[in-house]
Amino acid sequence: MLAGAVVLWLFVNGAFYFMSRIRPGRFDQTYAPHILIGGGIILPVVILSALLVWGLGILTDPRRPGDGLVVRVTGEQWWWRVEYWPEGATEPIISANEIRLPAGQRAEIHLTSDKVIHSFWIPALGGKMDMFPGRDTMISLAPEKVGTYRGQCAEFCGASHAWMAFSAVVMEPEAFDSWLEAEAEDAVEPAGDAALRGRQVFLSEGCGACHAVRGTEAVGQVGPDLTHVGSRQTLGAGRMALTLEDLTTWISHSEALKPEVKMPAYDLAPDRLDDLARYLEGLK
Amino acid sequence: MKSVILTLAVLAALGLAGAAAVVGFGLYNVSAAAGHLPGVSFVLHTTFRNSVALRAPPEEEVPPLDDPDLVALGAGHYATACAGCHGVPGAARSATVRAMVPEPPAITEAVAHWQPNELHWIVENGVKMSGMPAWPARNRKDEVWSVVAYLEALKTGTTPEMPSTRLAGEAYCRSCHGEVGGPVPRLDIQTPDYLEAQLGAYLSGERPSGIMAQAASLVPEERFASLAEAFSAGTAAPVDEAPREGPGAELAWRGTRAVPACIACHGTASEAAAPGRKGPRLFGQSRVFLATQLRLWRDGTLSHDRLMSAAAAELTEEDIDALSRYFSATGQ
Repeated sequence: MLAGAVVLWLFVNGAFYFMSRIRPGRFDQTYAPHILIGGGIILPVVILSALLVWGLGILTDPRRPGDGLVVRVTGEQWWWRVEYWPEGATEPIISANEIRLPAGQRAEIHLTSDKVIHSFWIPALGGKMDMFPGRDTMISLAPEKVGTYRGQCAEFCGASHAWMAFSAVVMEPEAFDSWLEAEAEDAVEPAGDAALRGRQVFLSEGCGACHAVRGTEAVGQVGPDLTHVGSRQTLGAGRMALTLEDLTTWISHSEALKPEVKMPAYDLAPDRLDDLARYLEGLK
Repeated sequence: MKSVILTLAVLAALGLAGAAAVVGFGLYNVSAAAGHLPGVSFVLHTTFRNSVALRAPPEEEVPPLDDPDLVALGAGHYATACAGCHGVPGAARSATVRAMVPEPPAITEAVAHWQPNELHWIVENGVKMSGMPAWPARNRKDEVWSVVAYLEALKTGTTPEMPSTRLAGEAYCRSCHGEVGGPVPRLDIQTPDYLEAQLGAYLSGERPSGIMAQAASLVPEERFASLAEAFSAGTAAPVDEAPREGPGAELAWRGTRAVPACIACHGTASEAAAPGRKGPRLFGQSRVFLATQLRLWRDGTLSHDRLMSAAAAELTEEDIDALSRYFSATGQ
């Protein structure tokens, strides 16, 4: 490639030098049309066509059927339903509102949507890709640097579009593997009396109608899976931090924090709210 | 031209002054004994008939009205809400009612002129300045059809025996609950607290129901608690293992991405009205009642619980059919 460029450069500059310094004066009219057509049209067409064919040949296909991890993301209003399909998996590992990827490996992100068009975008890792109801789109990413990157819905999708974000966490491959293994497990048993009471609050308030906590009787599918919610970096799809204080604020003010969100704000007694937050925070 | 306008203006002013005098000095005689001036009754009645004909729902909207439960519910409501003025078939109406202006027609005579869709409009909307009240709850066309079903049965002479119009308290409640199925719910499976709260909600209109608002208004509020206690007999046999297969079961236990799982709030079959649960018990409830209530929640007529409003918002007709069949089939 470089050699070709050097040859071309020498040729063009050589010709210029020849015409201006070595043999200035009028050029022979009989050769002019041939040089113009040959050097100005035929030569570039041939060279550029060859380069195009060669270039397309060595271009990696971002949509080639992959090996490795498949992450299926469904856009909801206004959060992200996430399923991990490791190679050879027959059923997915279900999560939400956070996408973890192994560094230095290619991962396919399969995208679709529930009701309206969303757009999947992690600016630091790749371009946008729209998510359509009833249609699958795909983007592949091969992140190189370990770190946490912000993802954001990039297509206006309703009242809380601006609050529809997520964290993309790129991990060392070994760390990712052990994380994924843990993510596939059922929820941990609550540690401590407050968390135990919190689980009772969770079940008796009917949270399980919409949210699943695997290993308990909560199996709802309307909202995000909360089996390991305590290990996520954000709450409410990037709305808040995952702290005890933010958990209580979110549960009691969800509709104010995220306009038109499906989750109703719960008016619980302060001690029950606190127990519930402790239970959720403990779901590592 | 100028004098024409002036004359008209003077006449208009005189007319206004005359009208003000009639209203202000009480010159119009409102005596029912004096009756209407000649011709007025005819004008009013013709207006009434044409107004109903213009506004009645199309005949295609009339549901099947020969369901015995629907007729019996209509009869029960008629006994306390309508019989006072329109009388009970075959019995004389009181002399006082017959002195009303306009006189409410005896029921057999009243229904003879109307089609079911027109009867529905009259019962739902009432008639201004005639004493005929509107249905006490908005958007409860489903309830109004029960009264129309009873009236239609009257036309064919196939009415069930009407509950006594003198029933009161628990006996009145039991003339429907326990006797009549279909649109009338079972109460024995619920907790006393739940039933008491519902009586209050019906009375205040928070939970809109013309039939239950009427029934609750006949009972002193102090008796709600003891009534609730009497009906929550806990007679429902606990069901240990409700089937978890089939579309209704799947929806009830797991929900979908659009519909929350019912069980999470309403409890499992074996927990007969478990006190910790948020919602009423559903296993063993009447299918028609469940389906009607789900539609009312979905359409926003019922809105006294935000969780239930959100839960029902995306139910399809197939969902409602499957769920009501599933819950009614278990725990009878």
